[in-house]
Amino acid sequence: MIDFNKVNKTYPGGFLALKQVSFSLQSGEMAFLTGHSGAGKSTLLKLISLMEKPSSGSIQVNHTELSNIQYKQVPYVRRGIGMIFQSHNLLKDRTVFENVALPLIIEGVSSKEIKKRVETALEKVHLTSKLKCFPHMLSGGEQQRVGIARAIVNKPPILLADEPTGNLDPKLSLDIIRLFEEFNAAGVTVLIATHDLGLIARMKYRTLTLKEGTMINDGIVDGLQARGVADE
Amino acid sequence: MSNLHSSGLQQRSSLIARLMSLPIRHAQQAVGSLGSLWRTPFTTVMTIFVLGISLALPATLHLFIKNAEKISEQWDSASQITLFLKLSTSEKSAQNLVKRISLDNDVAEVKYISSAQALKEFKVLSGFGQSLEYLDKNPLPATVLVTPTQRASQAEAANGLLAKLSKEREVDQGKLDLEWLTRLEAMARLIEDIVIGVALLLCLSVVLIVGNTIRLAILNEKDAIAIMKLVGATDSFIQRPFLYSGIWYGIFGGILSCITVTLLAWYLGYAITDLSQLYQSNFTLEGLDISEALSLIAFAITLALVGSYISVSQHIKAIEPNAD
Repeated sequence: MIDFNKVNKTYPGGFLALKQVSFSLQSGEMAFLTGHSGAGKSTLLKLISLMEKPSSGSIQVNHTELSNIQYKQVPYVRRGIGMIFQSHNLLKDRTVFENVALPLIIEGVSSKEIKKRVETALEKVHLTSKLKCFPHMLSGGEQQRVGIARAIVNKPPILLADEPTGNLDPKLSLDIIRLFEEFNAAGVTVLIATHDLGLIARMKYRTLTLKEGTMINDGIVDGLQARGVADE
Repeated sequence: MSNLHSSGLQQRSSLIARLMSLPIRHAQQAVGSLGSLWRTPFTTVMTIFVLGISLALPATLHLFIKNAEKISEQWDSASQITLFLKLSTSEKSAQNLVKRISLDNDVAEVKYISSAQALKEFKVLSGFGQSLEYLDKNPLPATVLVTPTQRASQAEAANGLLAKLSKEREVDQGKLDLEWLTRLEAMARLIEDIVIGVALLLCLSVVLIVGNTIRLAILNEKDAIAIMKLVGATDSFIQRPFLYSGIWYGIFGGILSCITVTLLAWYLGYAITDLSQLYQSNFTLEGLDISEALSLIAFAITLALVGSYISVSQHIKAIEPNAD
């Protein structure tokens, strides 16, 4: 589903953000991506979501090679990836319903179908009562759940989350991760970038660990290892 | 196999449903863009006024040319040729000449004025009625008034016709006020060129004004555009509301320019009618007719659409999403 093969990413100015990164995430798999600030987590997610292009190496997502993709194909690849961000990235002047409906409107889904699918997505994140609210009327946790509803509303095969629990308290963080588990159980491939090592240790999922752009660990991390990663 | 078949059917019905919803989506985006303009009333009204006035100027110049052509049609007799016949020409020869001239392809109308008719008119118009009684014989020659066809009434052609008719043996002298006609035509050509130049500049300014207004709207919506790209919006999807904004600007700007030109024509109409009556003319100023008004609005929409298209194609591609 997601294949990285010897991927390098150098930013203008010469900063090497990723060095020879290789890994493969199978369809229906759930994994964490961790590492310190500046380790390359966000760069890796940006490469998958086509916000950046690799300097060398090969990236395949949904059987599409991303390293040489045409500009016009980019939106169609992005439609197969649900993206969730710490900063939520909601449209401030649109209601919860309109924000969640956005991917469906873009795809040209009929109004009747949009209503049905948005309500289903909001039910999954327990926000049906906030349909007509604007983002500024919601708490941080609620805004995050709106972002998640928008990411899953068009049923993408891949979900990427960049620090989805970054601003949330531990209980809310766990609720959000449980939601991802639900989507994963339904067959969605999930990759979550986080530096919350406690959370990683509790969940016992495959964890990709980056350090200064290099993949230093790929496997299930227990509590002791998590502390080790934190110390490095 | 049946799964494949039902999946194919589903895809087809989904495609049909999407195609069916296409006009609805366009209508929604058109109305949505009108809503965006409504939410920024000051900018919208200012832009529409600038467009309306910019388009009203070339439209007024068009009216000027249209009315000038109407006046020049009344001056077609300016290229009328007067042929003074020799005093020795008999009535029969004169009639033969008239027949010959009227057969010429460049001649629209021929009018013969006999020497007796000429004297009679001269007596009435000159005020020398009684004095003329003392003359032994009529000193006035018979005259033939020749009106050239539209094709032959231009200065060069009319001059050629005069030269040809002057060679007739019955003709003593031919006359055509060519210098005046040539100057008039040169002046008309100059005014037309100036009008075209000014109109082109004003049309260019309309394109630039709309382009700049749309550019500012795009920059204002930069974050929203980045988010839309992030969830898979194509550039054409993002461009559409801005293009519709351009169309709205064109419609309202065009309507405003029609109103402006109509009011101006109405305001000047009375003064021009009064002036023309002083010259025994029944000339009245013609305003924009329905087809001209619709053409003006369509032209305004085209210009505004071109301006907005240039802007969106330049700026939307440059906005890229950022995960931060």
